[in-house]
This record gives sequence, C-alpha cells and structure tokens, in this order.
Amino acid sequence: MSRTEAALGGHHTPVMEPSPFAVPAIKLAMWLFIISDIMTFAACLVAYGFLRNSTPNWPRPFQSSTIISVMVMTFILITSSFLMVLAVRAARAGDRAGAFRWTMVTLAAGAVFAILHIREWYGMIGQGMTFSTNPWGTGLFGGAYYSVTGMELLHVIAALIALLIVGLGYKSGRYGATHIENCGLFWQFINIVWMFVVPLVYLMNAAS
Amino acid sequence: MSTTGEQGGLGKYVVVYISMLVIAVIELLIAYRHPSGGQLLVSMLILAFIGALLGVLYFMGLGSENRKAILAFAVFTLFVLATINYGWTDSFRLLLGAPFAK
Repeated sequence: MSRTEAALGGHHTPVMEPSPFAVPAIKLAMWLFIISDIMTFAACLVAYGFLRNSTPNWPRPFQSSTIISVMVMTFILITSSFLMVLAVRAARAGDRAGAFRWTMVTLAAGAVFAILHIREWYGMIGQGMTFSTNPWGTGLFGGAYYSVTGMELLHVIAALIALLIVGLGYKSGRYGATHIENCGLFWQFINIVWMFVVPLVYLMNAAS
Repeated sequence: MSTTGEQGGLGKYVVVYISMLVIAVIELLIAYRHPSGGQLLVSMLILAFIGALLGVLYFMGLGSENRKAILAFAVFTLFVLATINYGWTDSFRLLLGAPFAK
C-alpha cells in the first residue's frame, strides 16, 4: 500500500497529497476534533474550579450513596473502554463478527452508564437542585454541576449513537476498521474526561 | 489504537485497565481521608492526569503513533490547557478581597 493510500485509510482514491504525520485523514480529523473538545471540557472545568474556589459557601452535598453510584459508573466506563480496545483490535484484524460483538457490548455498557447518570440527575433534582438554586448553599453549584456533567452525558449519548451506527455499518460492510477505530478514540476520550469529572466534581464535594 | 500499531497480546491493556481502576479507588480513599482543600485538589489532579495519560497513550494508542504527530498534538494541547488557567489568580481575589477588591 502506498503512503497516500495508507493516509487515506486504505481506500483507493485519486492520488492527492498525503495526510500530515502519515495518519489517515479521517483519524487525523478525529484527533483534531478531540483536541477541540478537550478545550471545551477544560474551559468548563476551569470555570467550575474558578467558581468553587471563589465561593465561600460552596456546598458538599454528595452522600455516600451518590459516591458509591458514581464509583460503579466509573467501573462501568473504564470497563467499557477496555471492551472498546477489544473491538478496535478485532476490527484491525479483519474480524468483523468479533468487532461488531465487542462494539455492541461496549454500547451496552455505555447505555448502563448513561442510565445511571440520568438516575443521578433525577436524584439531585428530587433533592431540590435546579440550575440556579439548591437547598445547601450557593446557587452557582447547580449550574456548575449540571453544565459539567451534562456535557459529559451529552457526549456519552452522542458516542452511543455513533457506536450503534458505525457498528451496524461495519457489520454490513459499509464502514471499515478505521471507522471503528475513530469511534474507539471518541469513546476513550469520554472515559478520560470522566476521570477528571469524578474527583473534581463528585469526590471533592462529598459530604463529610 | 494506532494505525501502524501492534497486534500482540492483551497484557499491557489489562495492566492499564487495572491501573485505571486502582487510581479510581485511591481517589476515593483520599477523598474520605478529608485532607485540606489544596492537598485534595493536587492529589486528585495528579491521579487524574496519570489515569488520563495511560488512557491516551495505550487505549487511544497515541503512544504508538508517529512521533511528530504526538509532538504536534501534545505541544498544541498542553499550551492551550496551560493558558486557559490564566484566571485562577482572580478567583483568589474574589475570595480574599485582595489586592483590588475596592
């Protein structure tokens, strides 16, 4: 395979300038998207940190039941990341059935994570926390909490839709291994963001 | 996963997976030891960065990508992440009322 063909992910297309860094163009685009998304999440987390640091009566409302639930969610998400690695490896080895199976298992794990996440939100809403008010302290807390975790949940739901579409497309032969790999990159990114959300938003606000 | 990466055993991915779980447990234990705010933040951030680094290098496969790609992505991203923190001093001003509170 020529360098140009490799850059285009193995597809036979007219000769054009190779993709930078010899990374397939579709994958490079995903990396650039992820980098831009890192900036978005970083801005959210820094804004959250700014508010938390500058607000004296910042609430710490998360009871141990919430923290246990969040740790279960963390276990599920990290496990799903490992499962996605298996899907990508199978796709790269040309094992369509295996890649599809692991992608769907990842999707199922992600769906459980999303359901638990929504359940958490319902719990917080049930305790009287809205975007601007809550029973514990500054109203800024709700806005910060729902913004950061909402961004994460939005990404998870988007990734679940992408996994379903690309998984089915890969099984039918419409999509290639590079597409599964791209979905994998996005899914791993979501897991990495969660690694910052859990300690900064949940654990640092656990009730004494 | 990398474009040109390996198709070897799963060993290193299992190690990374277990490491990430262990990091999550350590974070939980530290949180319930109730250290001071600054200590808690620093220890949480260090652990989160270690977990993220493992994820980026192994699960996302950046570690086996083209070296120039790694350099370009890392320098650009870290530069923006560093500059995005310019406002922290102002959050202390809001909290402590100094030096430009009035």
